[in-house]
Amino acid sequence: MSTATQSPPWLETLLQVLAQRSGHSVPQRASAPDWRWPTRRSEAWRFTDLRCLTQLDPTRLHTRTASPPWPDVLRQGSSRHVALQLDGRGHWRDPQGEPPPWPHGLMPLPSEEITPGQVAHTVIPSGTLPLGAQLNGATPGPSLGLQVSGPAPVHLALAIQVEQAQTWLAPHVLLVVEPGARLCLTWHVAATAQAAVLPMVEVQLGAGARLEEAAMAWGCPGAAFLGNSFVHQSPRSVYRRINVTWGWGLSRDEPFIRQSQGQAETHLHGLAVARGQSLLDTHSTVSFGGPAGQLRHQHQALADDRGHSVFNGRVVVPRLAQQTDASQLSRNLLLSTRARIDTKPQLEIVADNVQCTHGATVSCLQDDELFYLQSRGIGREQASRLLQRGFCEEILQRLPKAVLAWPSLQRLLEIPVPDQP
Amino acid sequence: MTSTETTPIRESPVQTGDVLLSIKNLHACVEGNEILRGVSLRVRAGEIHALMGRNGSGKSTLSKVIAGHPAYTVTAGSIHYRGRDLLALSPEDRARSGVFLGFQYPVEIPGVSNLEFLRVSCNARRQHRGQEELDTFAFEDHVRETMAIVQMDPAFLERSVNEGFSGGEKKRNEVLQMALLEPLVAILDETDSGLDIDALRIVANGVKKLALPTTATLLITHYQRLLDAITPDFVHVMAEGRILRTGGKDLAMALEQRGYDWMDEETDGADRSDTPQP
Repeated sequence: MSTATQSPPWLETLLQVLAQRSGHSVPQRASAPDWRWPTRRSEAWRFTDLRCLTQLDPTRLHTRTASPPWPDVLRQGSSRHVALQLDGRGHWRDPQGEPPPWPHGLMPLPSEEITPGQVAHTVIPSGTLPLGAQLNGATPGPSLGLQVSGPAPVHLALAIQVEQAQTWLAPHVLLVVEPGARLCLTWHVAATAQAAVLPMVEVQLGAGARLEEAAMAWGCPGAAFLGNSFVHQSPRSVYRRINVTWGWGLSRDEPFIRQSQGQAETHLHGLAVARGQSLLDTHSTVSFGGPAGQLRHQHQALADDRGHSVFNGRVVVPRLAQQTDASQLSRNLLLSTRARIDTKPQLEIVADNVQCTHGATVSCLQDDELFYLQSRGIGREQASRLLQRGFCEEILQRLPKAVLAWPSLQRLLEIPVPDQP
Repeated sequence: MTSTETTPIRESPVQTGDVLLSIKNLHACVEGNEILRGVSLRVRAGEIHALMGRNGSGKSTLSKVIAGHPAYTVTAGSIHYRGRDLLALSPEDRARSGVFLGFQYPVEIPGVSNLEFLRVSCNARRQHRGQEELDTFAFEDHVRETMAIVQMDPAFLERSVNEGFSGGEKKRNEVLQMALLEPLVAILDETDSGLDIDALRIVANGVKKLALPTTATLLITHYQRLLDAITPDFVHVMAEGRILRTGGKDLAMALEQRGYDWMDEETDGADRSDTPQP
């Protein structure tokens, strides 16, 4: 963040409040970060207006959560499945409010083995964590650290429900997936009030391990989401991530993935639906630290009304990452003259024996498609909705059934997000 | 034009011989280029018409203008459907009223389930006809029965509309839509193109089954082979944006054997006004 500025008064106040709550003079959890506030003069932040975040009053912040509307299929634990929701003290409980019974293959890590940033710093060589991760680290609270072992898949469902204004939640999750182990992770994050949710997830994937992650994050016009995930992949590991975002006043999703020695698979699929005055920003980085790595990345965004979607997909292929096979596609649907799409696939390739492709498209609804539907008796408005839904379905159909069971998905498909009051 | 500005034509019983479609001196252009230059045609219930002609003669344009494609502007003339001004209706209201266009190049729509698309379409037409809409389960039974007409694999219901379909599968899907919508006037734009012999037979049999004494069919085709399977009552030849000649099945056979040049020679210097319409 070379063009970042010194901390604004808002941040100073926030850090003081967080430090007081942690009982330290300096905010704890991560090591003290180099606090420099990003501005829109910085390339990485030039489209990202942080006012939605700074409109929160640091002196009134609290951590109260609500009970998520768990689908029945997810609510009950089993020998291979556990559902956890974040409580107001930063602990993860099962839907009955009890400490969870851990399924086979999943066990909590001792707190002394959890150091926030331990994976992140191996994924980001520069050592400077992004703003969301810095704020997460400055927030006091327990971490959730889990170790996954054994070849049989373990299912972990995490949910965060925010319903009160001035909520500030910054959960930290560390997942250590041992060699050959398999984890199916689902997230449901919902905010219906002016609030901030800043999750930080660190994942260590052992050799031959698999993580299938599906995340659905939706908010309201006054809510901000700053999510950071750091995934360290060992050879032969497979990481699949499907991320669906809508409704937030501001969302900044920053996944960082590093294939430490190459020879791993990364599959990223994202959908951002920006209606009203929503600003949905995805900045992803995938780096290859060795040869023969694979990446399949597809990001889709729909912008309507005054919605704004930002995508920056950075792929780093250094000389040692020969035989990398990477593709990245950004597809965008622009539905209003006042909506905006900014997209930048960014491939940084030094290796000469690689197969890397990228592309970006921005279009409106196709007249031929609309006419085809109209010629079958479907009204233009309904045809437009069908096409929008079809655009979303290309990503949504990849979601596991467990995630599709969340009723909030219907809000995405059928109910437009209202304008900011 | 949006659906709120128009009202679909209410459906009343049709008798064989009723005039369903009446086109008079129709002129239309796209992007400033005049394509149709005075088309006149009358289609009655119970009739099958074939429309032939060279590439670029205006056949597909005529079909799209009838269906209401927004890219085409009608500059003169009229189209009446069952006595009502069809041009005043939006594309969706034309379809709800019973006008169907089978596309030469059916559009692929990724992400939109074929089953959902068919159900919404079918219910739009049913609602207009005062019939009860079909719920998901009832429609699935209905569509599976109807698919037998074109011998289509039910697996295609689960796919996105036309996505990844072969040329033949797309055309079968078009005829399936026609079967579900039960139109009074069906215009099939080169439904036979790209079909192998078996697929042509299946599609042609499907169309024949759907051609009733109370409906009319307009087949746009280049080839006699479709007309071997579906015998037309009238064959029209288009050239330069108008109907140059009208005849019976013999006219199609003559075109198959002699091409279009002989017709040019016969009409050179002659009065090129429209041949009297049926």
